[in-house]
Amino acid sequence: MTAILEARMLGMTYGRRRALTECSVTIPPGRMVGLVGPNGAGKSTLLKLACGVLTPTSGSISVLGRTPGTGPEQLARVGFLAQDAPVYANLSVGDHLRLGARLNPGWGQGFVERRIAALELDPRQKAGKLSGGQRAQLALAVAAGKRPELLILDEPVASLDPLARRAFLEHLTQSATENGTRVILSSHLISDLERFCDYLIVLVASRVRLAGNVDQIIAAHHRIVCTRRDPGALPAGLEVVSAEHAEHQSTFVVRSDGPLPPGDWVTQPLSMEDLVLAYMGTAESGIRSATQGDGGAR
Amino acid sequence: MIWLTWRQFRTQIFAALTVLAAAAAYVLITGTQLRHSYTADLASCGAQNDCFGVLNGLQDQYNGPLQLAEMLVLAAPGLIGIFWGAPLVAGELERGTHLLAWNQSVTRTRWLAVKLSCLALASVVTVGVLSLLLTWWASPLDAASGNRFGTMAFNARDVAPLGYAAFAFALGVALGLLFQRTLPAMAVTLAIFIAVQVLVTAGVRPHLLPATAASVPVNQTTMSQAIRFDRSDANTGPVTVDLPAPSGSWLQSESEVLNSSGRPVQTGEILSCWTKYFGQPGASGKGGSPGMGPLGACLASDNLHVDLTYQAADRYWQLQWIETALYGALALLLAVATFRRTRRLRG
Repeated sequence: MTAILEARMLGMTYGRRRALTECSVTIPPGRMVGLVGPNGAGKSTLLKLACGVLTPTSGSISVLGRTPGTGPEQLARVGFLAQDAPVYANLSVGDHLRLGARLNPGWGQGFVERRIAALELDPRQKAGKLSGGQRAQLALAVAAGKRPELLILDEPVASLDPLARRAFLEHLTQSATENGTRVILSSHLISDLERFCDYLIVLVASRVRLAGNVDQIIAAHHRIVCTRRDPGALPAGLEVVSAEHAEHQSTFVVRSDGPLPPGDWVTQPLSMEDLVLAYMGTAESGIRSATQGDGGAR
Repeated sequence: MIWLTWRQFRTQIFAALTVLAAAAAYVLITGTQLRHSYTADLASCGAQNDCFGVLNGLQDQYNGPLQLAEMLVLAAPGLIGIFWGAPLVAGELERGTHLLAWNQSVTRTRWLAVKLSCLALASVVTVGVLSLLLTWWASPLDAASGNRFGTMAFNARDVAPLGYAAFAFALGVALGLLFQRTLPAMAVTLAIFIAVQVLVTAGVRPHLLPATAASVPVNQTTMSQAIRFDRSDANTGPVTVDLPAPSGSWLQSESEVLNSSGRPVQTGEILSCWTKYFGQPGASGKGGSPGMGPLGACLASDNLHVDLTYQAADRYWQLQWIETALYGALALLLAVATFRRTRRLRG
């Protein structure tokens, strides 16, 4: 099995602005991947590099073992749903499905028809007249309809209300299950990713801060509360992700590759959201090597 | 891809077909009338010996529609560049739909190739049909005027408009890709298209082929066809005369009246003949009957001549094809640039 995505020192600059810096990550096969990070962190850039809309200015990237966007075969293997789910406003829902059918050899007409019926979309309706949620659903139906091996979605639910968001993610789950499609989904809503993904990448200020299997990430991170002390006073083998100091006590989020060594501290539960926020909050405090989770699985 | 292109542009194609149908209906109806009057006029004027006046009347009668039709054929490529060319890629980039199109199982090179070639073909055919209609409709008038090299007559007839259409369309697409926004691309497309048209018409076309030089003597025969004869008020000014160039040719330059050694003749030297036929000094000679034939006869013994350069009538098609090819080559260059830029474009 080839890795879903393999980036080596991947970099992308727009003029003088760095959108992505020395990004090295290997996503093992079979994962549902969540990409999280603050706005402007480079999530869209990474995803556009993965589908081949952009070509990197440095480093290399391969998706499903091949350079992205290199030909019709690779395009057929990777689906992409861009931010704000662009559709042709003056084309009808039915026209979009015909577009997908004509431009994709692997198009699953029956699958898409079932989806559209389940969504209660009128094929004659102009796409420009759809609500935001319906438009995103239509764009997803077209992207999933070509039955790619990997479907990449760039903040598809960002502008949707909670109900539409849930419906969209259900649609996505069903599509992925039915066609055996792997998914990379970016969002700044960690709760959406938590439900959906088993692999997580945290991107902060153009760099990968964390990448790994969700359960391993959770197992390796702890929040400890102890009397006030310097991070340096913690035992070796604990990597400090974030530190907060009150008058008499300190709270650390730490990563430990083995089990947490015993100490004079209280361990508190750490949710995925807390963990991700801890990484996001430390964007300026230097660069740590990305956790590779189960690393070289290939 | 062809289906998508058709689906996206069928409204524009239907609009073009409507315009073409309306133009064809108008041209067929009035063109038949025009032809009818032309043959009738030609048959009758021979007997009255006044074909010049009769055909002039016909030209005057149809001058309005002719100018309007020429304007339409001249404007059509510009409109195509603005409304078909500029939004072709820029519209997709503006709305983000290129990300939808480029993530189907079709490379963006093929996406562009199909769109570009289908619509370029539609542009050329649309303008070609308009030009064909006008060329057919105006052929009696063109035959009567004998002037096929006039700006309007040349730019709005036969094959040259095909080149303009291809160029304007490719220009619109290329600028749309450059600006990535439709509106500025439209404005700049129009500005550049007009500038290139003016430049080629006024600056390039006269030099496309070497002109033919000729020396026309001033005598009774030539002067009887002269349109104008001017002398200066003083005795030492130049003398100019509009001698006719060979029939149907494009007159590019005409010297003053020269004597046998090639020196410009001074007014004083022709004054005796002038006063003999026109009386008062300072007047200008006017063409028409009885014309300046007698003045020419009087001047014949002085061995005067006028140097002309012109493009012969049979150069018309050569110039039409060269200009079409020139615009076609420009369109091709723009298309190549468009492909290269699309491949490198950062979505």
